[in-house]
Amino acid sequence: MSTAVPPSTAPLLLLEQVSKWYGPVLSLNQVTLELNAGITGLVGPNGSGKSTLIKLATGLIAPSLGRVTVRGRDASDWRTRHSIGYCPDHDAFYEDMSGREFVRAMAKLNGFAPRDVTDRSEAVLDRVGMVERADRKLRGYSKGMRQRIKLAQALLHDPELLILDEPLSGIDPLGRQEMLELFHELAGQGKCLLISSHELEELEKLTSHVAILSRGRIAAVGTLQQIRGLLDDYPMTVRVALDDPKELAKHLLGIDGVIGFDFDDTGRGLIIRARSPERFFAGFQTLILDKGIEVREMEPLDDSAHAILGYLLGGSGKT
Amino acid sequence: MTNPTDPLLRYRPWKGELNPPVYASLAMARSSLRLLFRRKVFWALYALALMIFFFFFYAQYLVVWIQQQAASQTVSVGAVPVRLSELTKFLDKLNLNGSPHTFGNFIWFEGHIVMIVLAFAGAVLVGNDFHHGSLPFYLSKPIGRRHYVLGKLLGIGAFINLMTTIPALALFLQAGLLYEWKSYYVDNFPVLLGILAYGLLLTVVLSLLMVATSVWVRRTVPLIMIWSGVFILGRTVANFLVEVQNFSPLWRLVDLWNDLYLIGLWFLQADFGSNNLGSNPEPWQAAIVVTVLCLACLLYLRKRIQAVEIVS
Amino acid sequence: MTPLLDLDNLSRTFGAHRALKGLTLRVPQGLVGLLGPNGAGKSTLLKILMGLIEPTSGTGRLLDVPLGGDRDTRDNWRLRRLIGFMPEADALVPGLKGIEYVALAGELYGMPRKQALRRAHEVLTYLDLDEARYRAVETYSAGMKQRAKLAQALVHDPAVLLLDEPTSGLDPSGRDKMLNLIRELGSLHGKSIIVSTHLLADVQAVCERVVIIAGGELRGVGTVDELCARRDDRFRVRVGGDKSHFEDALKAVGIEMILPTAATELRVVLPPGRTTLDLFRIAAGCGASIRAVLRDDVTLDELFRTATATGAA
Repeated sequence: MSTAVPPSTAPLLLLEQVSKWYGPVLSLNQVTLELNAGITGLVGPNGSGKSTLIKLATGLIAPSLGRVTVRGRDASDWRTRHSIGYCPDHDAFYEDMSGREFVRAMAKLNGFAPRDVTDRSEAVLDRVGMVERADRKLRGYSKGMRQRIKLAQALLHDPELLILDEPLSGIDPLGRQEMLELFHELAGQGKCLLISSHELEELEKLTSHVAILSRGRIAAVGTLQQIRGLLDDYPMTVRVALDDPKELAKHLLGIDGVIGFDFDDTGRGLIIRARSPERFFAGFQTLILDKGIEVREMEPLDDSAHAILGYLLGGSGKT
Repeated sequence: MTNPTDPLLRYRPWKGELNPPVYASLAMARSSLRLLFRRKVFWALYALALMIFFFFFYAQYLVVWIQQQAASQTVSVGAVPVRLSELTKFLDKLNLNGSPHTFGNFIWFEGHIVMIVLAFAGAVLVGNDFHHGSLPFYLSKPIGRRHYVLGKLLGIGAFINLMTTIPALALFLQAGLLYEWKSYYVDNFPVLLGILAYGLLLTVVLSLLMVATSVWVRRTVPLIMIWSGVFILGRTVANFLVEVQNFSPLWRLVDLWNDLYLIGLWFLQADFGSNNLGSNPEPWQAAIVVTVLCLACLLYLRKRIQAVEIVS
Repeated sequence: MTPLLDLDNLSRTFGAHRALKGLTLRVPQGLVGLLGPNGAGKSTLLKILMGLIEPTSGTGRLLDVPLGGDRDTRDNWRLRRLIGFMPEADALVPGLKGIEYVALAGELYGMPRKQALRRAHEVLTYLDLDEARYRAVETYSAGMKQRAKLAQALVHDPAVLLLDEPTSGLDPSGRDKMLNLIRELGSLHGKSIIVSTHLLADVQAVCERVVIIAGGELRGVGTVDELCARRDDRFRVRVGGDKSHFEDALKAVGIEMILPTAATELRVVLPPGRTTLDLFRIAAGCGASIRAVLRDDVTLDELFRTATATGAA
């Protein structure tokens, strides 16, 4: 996400003060979000407004308040569609079509010239690894194969912005790895991927940049480390395993940020509580290098997406 | 999240005898009826069905009353004196005299409501199981596929009987009370059997047809189209062919509802000549058509339900 | 104790396709994860376990009920009474209220009507569906739907629960809740639970044992600890600051890195003689600070990949 944006280019996806309600039901409340090249994970509990945000970003619905733009142009403008690829959560296929027919039909709808239709369709089918299996009827597809076909049609027009709603659900672990590699590759080409997922472990393999939604608002955007740093109320806990914890403990309080520690049950570990991770880790590193203490393991216990989400949403009674 | 009652609410084991699978079919039938009577939209149709019943009920009474009490009296309709018995002439067409035709006609009319309800209900009762993937819910239980079909048929059958046979029996009871009840019940005992047989026929044919078509199209709108195709288009085509094109009356067999009616009248041992039925095929011909249809439905169901994947 | 599963050369063919090729395995009672890529024969095995299809050859037992061999339809029903199955599909009956749905399931299992209703209330209370039980099932949220599906599998108090993708579609808190329930049912209430899933993290979280099948063959069976071997030479390292500099510095001193990695991590193999202290030193040398050093044991993910890959060759 640190890729520099040329000043002449507007952000790839920009939501400015966007609110959306359906009748009296508020779904998104003054959300501002700017995305550029790279992968961003969109996480949040069910009903937090994720799917609304996705529909807004794809231009399927218009915001009640605010503005959604893609490269400076309104998201609902038909011309913008050329820059957006959308892989929806639910599938709405013509079940009697084969995967290939479906992708080709989508290519035609995308306005490709007849001679390009075949080239493009085969290219994207190859990309998602479905060339050999594309002639079977969609009715007989597994969930993972459906996901791949949906992804294929989203890639047809080679969009800059890809919005993927739960693209990993139902895919087996082998397929998952292939998909993750494909996403990395797409991001490497300078595309912007917005991926919603409930599977935080998988998402963490893909990116550390996340936008966390809660009850219609963006609770936090940034890398997990940045977000963890913002959670001042929750001191970080780090487990350190080593042969002689007492030796380490003698020096610990001298490190910036440490507010306390406990010995764990095994007698081979320390649970350290600290504030301001930047200074703590730097200080800790200097300390063990100075004293030559060999650490077997060092594990922050609560900086995973899972833990952060728990802290952020814990107050909302959603756990 | 923890509160003091939690330990009390923890999981408890259960022990007990389990019933054989047939009970599962009964449970399914019960929940199907529950679904049918829960939909508010259907209550308009039920009201209509009740109206037809009351129409027959009171008209039957009225006819007897006029015949016995006031046949010779006249009333003025716009200053023209009209004999009361003339006024009820239009009712004669319905044969409201406790004869087999009374019940045949009654079921004929109620049948329309049943058909409409079933067309709407198909998606709710059966289509959803396929559309929303509820089949694994049923078939993962210790029951066979035939118990599933049986349960659905039982539910729909109970509903059909509730709308046709049972009110027809009430009319039969009433007719007896209006005439000489001892002789009526004895003389017309075959009619009672006929009503039951007709009801049974409708139950079997309509519920099979409904389950089969719902399995096939699954959603309400196409289901209604199919049903109106079968019952309305069938009739129109039959009339067109026989009356306009002067084809053989055998073409009336296309009209399924008419086929059922013919077999029903035959069960009721009604006199075919006495009603203005026009030229019609023989009941046994109708019976062949209906049997073939039922067999086709059964075969189709067998094939489709076998093909369902419980774990994908 | 009777083993949960005892399969002897169990095979199943569909025409020319051999879905299961002589599966022989023995799994004691407890929490078992059933893993395999699509088309591995997992669903065929589940169907055999539920008595929905017969094995073509071979025999087996689920607890004390025979699978295959000399048996009749009564055994199929015994199997399905023994098992509470939670399907992956939505499997709700639209229009029914939660309580009616679970009570119907109880009756389908053969419970007497009133017992089914009482028990349905009890199970729904246990699964935290208090007020919601009086609402129509189609209005449920994803988490409630999953719990309602679990309730219908649990209503007759089966000895074995068979859960097909129990956490699919759940958000993280819903998933934690479901996993906790599964763990509790298994460890506290003595249920044997077979979880078939694509989410290895779920299996890692709740299962004691795993069975991996691929291409219709058994590729691995055992406890998670046994299978995921300890590795003292591999570490997962997270650094604050610039990851690429650190990566270059590691390469410069000849420390190898392995793939695949998560976005924020590096996986390093320490050559003999080097310790984690070296990692800290190298990090300090290029201005980064190490935030985590974790022993990189063989993960279920890796195990799965190697187990399923061998057959492809």
